[in-house]
Amino acid sequence: MDVFLQQLVNGLSLGGIYALIALGYTMVYGIIELINFAHGDVYTLGSFFALAVLTGLGVSGEVHGPALIGVVLVTVLAAMLCCGLTGVLIERLAYRRLRNAPRLAPLITAIGMSFILENVMQLWRGPSPVSFPSVIPNPIVHLGPIDIGAKQILVIVTAVVMMFALQLFIYRTRLGKAMRATAQDRDAAQLMGIDINTTIALTFLIGSALAGAAGFISGVYYGTTWFFNGFEAGLKAFTAAVLGGIGNIAGAMLGGFLIGLIEAMATQYIPQGAQWTNVVVFSVLVLVLIFRPSGLLGESLPEKV
Amino acid sequence: MRLGNAAVRVLAGLSIGVLAVGCSSSSTTSQSSSASSPAAAGDNSNASGGTPIKIGIEFPLSGGDASNGIPSDNGAKLAIQEANKAGVPGGFTFVADDLDDAVQGTHDPAQGAQNTKTFISDSAVLAMIGPFNSNVAKAEIPLTNDAGLAQISPAATNPGLTKGPDAKKGLTHPDVIAFFRVCTTDDKQGAAGATFAKELGKKKAFVVDDNETYGKGLADVFEEQFKAGGGTVLGHEHLNKGQGDFKALLTKIKSQGPDLVFYGGTSVTGGALLRKQMGDVGMSGVTFFGGDGISDDNFLTTAGSSANGSYYTLAAPELSKLPSAANFIKAYAANFKDPIGPYSANSYTAAKIEIAAIEAAIKANGNKVPDRAAVLKNVAATHGFASPIGTVGFDANGDTTAPILSLYKIENGKAVFVKQVNLST
Amino acid sequence: MKFGRERPFAVLPFLVLPLVPLLDRNNSHIDFLTNAGAFILLALGLNIVVGFAGLLDLGYAAFFAIGSYSYAMLASQQFGIHIPFWVMLFVASVIAAIFGILLGAPTLRLRGDYLAIVTLGFGEIVPQTFLNLTQYTNGPNGISPLDSPSLFGHSFGFSATPYYEVMLALIALAVLLATNLQSSRLGRAWMAIREDELAARHMGINTTTAKLAAFALGASFSGLAGVAYAAKLSLVSPDQFQFNVSVLVLSMLVLGGMGNIWGVIVGSFTLSFINGFLLPQSTNLAHSMHLNLDFTNYRFMLYGVILVAMMLFRPEGLIPSKQRRAEFREAKLDPALAAEEQGEYTLGPGPGAGTGG
Repeated sequence: MDVFLQQLVNGLSLGGIYALIALGYTMVYGIIELINFAHGDVYTLGSFFALAVLTGLGVSGEVHGPALIGVVLVTVLAAMLCCGLTGVLIERLAYRRLRNAPRLAPLITAIGMSFILENVMQLWRGPSPVSFPSVIPNPIVHLGPIDIGAKQILVIVTAVVMMFALQLFIYRTRLGKAMRATAQDRDAAQLMGIDINTTIALTFLIGSALAGAAGFISGVYYGTTWFFNGFEAGLKAFTAAVLGGIGNIAGAMLGGFLIGLIEAMATQYIPQGAQWTNVVVFSVLVLVLIFRPSGLLGESLPEKV
Repeated sequence: MRLGNAAVRVLAGLSIGVLAVGCSSSSTTSQSSSASSPAAAGDNSNASGGTPIKIGIEFPLSGGDASNGIPSDNGAKLAIQEANKAGVPGGFTFVADDLDDAVQGTHDPAQGAQNTKTFISDSAVLAMIGPFNSNVAKAEIPLTNDAGLAQISPAATNPGLTKGPDAKKGLTHPDVIAFFRVCTTDDKQGAAGATFAKELGKKKAFVVDDNETYGKGLADVFEEQFKAGGGTVLGHEHLNKGQGDFKALLTKIKSQGPDLVFYGGTSVTGGALLRKQMGDVGMSGVTFFGGDGISDDNFLTTAGSSANGSYYTLAAPELSKLPSAANFIKAYAANFKDPIGPYSANSYTAAKIEIAAIEAAIKANGNKVPDRAAVLKNVAATHGFASPIGTVGFDANGDTTAPILSLYKIENGKAVFVKQVNLST
Repeated sequence: MKFGRERPFAVLPFLVLPLVPLLDRNNSHIDFLTNAGAFILLALGLNIVVGFAGLLDLGYAAFFAIGSYSYAMLASQQFGIHIPFWVMLFVASVIAAIFGILLGAPTLRLRGDYLAIVTLGFGEIVPQTFLNLTQYTNGPNGISPLDSPSLFGHSFGFSATPYYEVMLALIALAVLLATNLQSSRLGRAWMAIREDELAARHMGINTTTAKLAAFALGASFSGLAGVAYAAKLSLVSPDQFQFNVSVLVLSMLVLGGMGNIWGVIVGSFTLSFINGFLLPQSTNLAHSMHLNLDFTNYRFMLYGVILVAMMLFRPEGLIPSKQRRAEFREAKLDPALAAEEQGEYTLGPGPGAGTGG
């Protein structure tokens, strides 16, 4: 039981990272029905941006006291801004022209973008994993039999807070309303005076900025980053978004946590489970898409013709 | 109508194909006969002088693995430079023909096999050095065996390459040894690891590997030997490629209460992160033990302060402790700006052995280019060969007769030499 | 259909190419051409699924793996089974086709982009499973050596030439099959599904059978490629079938022109040439000039650039199939082109129908 509870914590903190990436996936899919395959790589890019900022600030280890808040704020905001702008740039250069093309064209482009980003990062920071300063102290909290690191709490809390903030933004603001309208019917929204290009760019800005934040958090949490991280993390985050119901903000978070839990539990309870986690997660992806393509919280929508 | 048409075309295509195959068998024979032509080329070159004799060198030279491959490549090249400077019998010149087996920054068996075929098909190549990695060697051994091309690896440590039931399986010439190595094999490395773990007073080990040829092989030997020595192995898990979060796995391991975690694999495939995260789940007190795969800087930088207290073995001697290596270290530093690697001296030694074998064969052949068989025979007969890594020779399997292992402990972010074991037979 | 006009051109390369090893005695050149041939086979197979039927398969390397492992398990010391190479060509393509149906069947209801992701999932699961099932596959070590093919008692041995000729014969066979499939009833059904599945179904096309046939036939080509490639390399190992192989083959299609057999061949060979020849040679050149440049590191960047640039500027590929060009262009609502194409083609939705997306 103690082990089970500990694995629950492990799963939730791993899932928190997936959830943060999944939010961006789901937003973009919700509005232009594009599987933005490059999203996982924007997340990795976020960790490299954050690393560059930290290096610039001269941070190489843990930071204490008020300086910690300053360092974290500056780094997170810079990583979010850079990733957000990268996202907007990708949309402008690669996806906008293909908005009315056959559906597979932008998906193929997105895969291409993903390969380009990975290689740019490889050229920038080399092919081996790069170590990342731990920045935030990680005191272990003992809750009865289970140990929770401060960073694990940070990951989980950030995912939940971001999800609520995003919900508020989309359902309580004018811009959010414009996004929902664009998602529902792009042509009608345009007729109502909504600037479609700006709205879609905004979606990419927010989604990619979230990936940037996730990149910083994962860098601090794991203490390392690697140009190829985004491929697998992105794929699992996409699985999370699909599991929760793609296009659904709360679903993305739920899916992220569930995928994290599935991984942790598979590791613990399948004999030699560590080597089977990817097979298990991708089997979940396949099964969900086949048996419940709308996901846990999504509504079943007929395909637009 | 349509179907009829299709059938005609299929038949036509097949007959073209069969014809083509027919043609090819004749051209195959003509090609193999042309393999003997370098001897002729060698004849008339005696006058002109400086005919190249190639030594094929095959390492991962790009990407993340380049930090292993390049220092080894340099070692071999240094030996070739020295041989040319000293003068080769018959007025020949040795040429280092180096190929890269890394694809996208990682050693690749298919690329290695490809490179080996390139060497085999170039009749000027009389011997080969490499590869660095065991899974690449696994793909190359059947090729050099079939071609009778002498191949010496400085660093492929997987024991199954030369020993055990699988080593000879399916080789064209099971009775011929064409693959040799000057490094200590993982059965010795794993066994020494198990012995050392026991000396440290460890009784319950959990074994983890990266699910690659080298890592899994090393971990399997450790598991076997640790059990044979009376220790308990609580479990053996394999990591996923590219995985970064090992907290769930470590929680599972921790719940079984081991006093040692043995890791078979490299820093990059998970070793460094595994050690780092042991600290995060409250296992920093458990000893972490690995093979030469975690002997690189990446382990120290990624695992940070958590690396302290880890142990690893190296399947090569600690050069600074060997008087015989002093000249090599000096010559290396004078010629290359890349830092010397743990296997540079092994690679240098491999090249020295091949050069000696080729030179002896040249003399025996009346100062003409010898054939590969003569070179192979000389390499196989190597014994008592003085080299920077000591006096080496090959046993009946093609393995070194002077296996030396070094043990290191990481203290204050630096690897500290603990001891050296000579397992000479 | 225009076979009458194309036939002489189609046959010509298969008469000339078998003679190449007589002219070029460099084994590594022939070796390179043989590898390029294996990828042409893969591209032709993927073209049936993606080009003809319009089903984006992102896990095509899985079938390549299944073909290769079939040969490795049934023609080596692994289980002591030694089925001859020629029989295995047939057996492995059937095995791959069966897996094509097994993996394809559950995805039939899915729409394009979901289908792509499910196939990607399969593409990740299959090699990982081969890796993990150590007792059957030797895990990370892979299976090696494999039986060398032989013909009339002559073993193929180490020269690349016999493999090259076999590869040519297989490509000829694949081209014949693909050309005939394209113009068959099934091929027209695929085209209809690709352009508008709903309409196709209402026209009375059995979309289930047609899609499954596409998966099965596409997979069988990679079964052939897998056997030939594995036999030539005398090795299979699980890391030969990663996602980037699937993307490489897709890039070949996108570059050459999805749906056009000759375009796909040209695209495939071009990429192989760049990868296997141009990049290593320029790296060697740079090294000989003491420049520390490794162009082979840019290989994967190149796939990305090809995918993006082609989709943006020439989605129909370098040598387009006319129908595909019409589909891509029309969807962009280029009035002049749409009008021009309308004259020739009446299939597919009218202008504007594609903008709902």
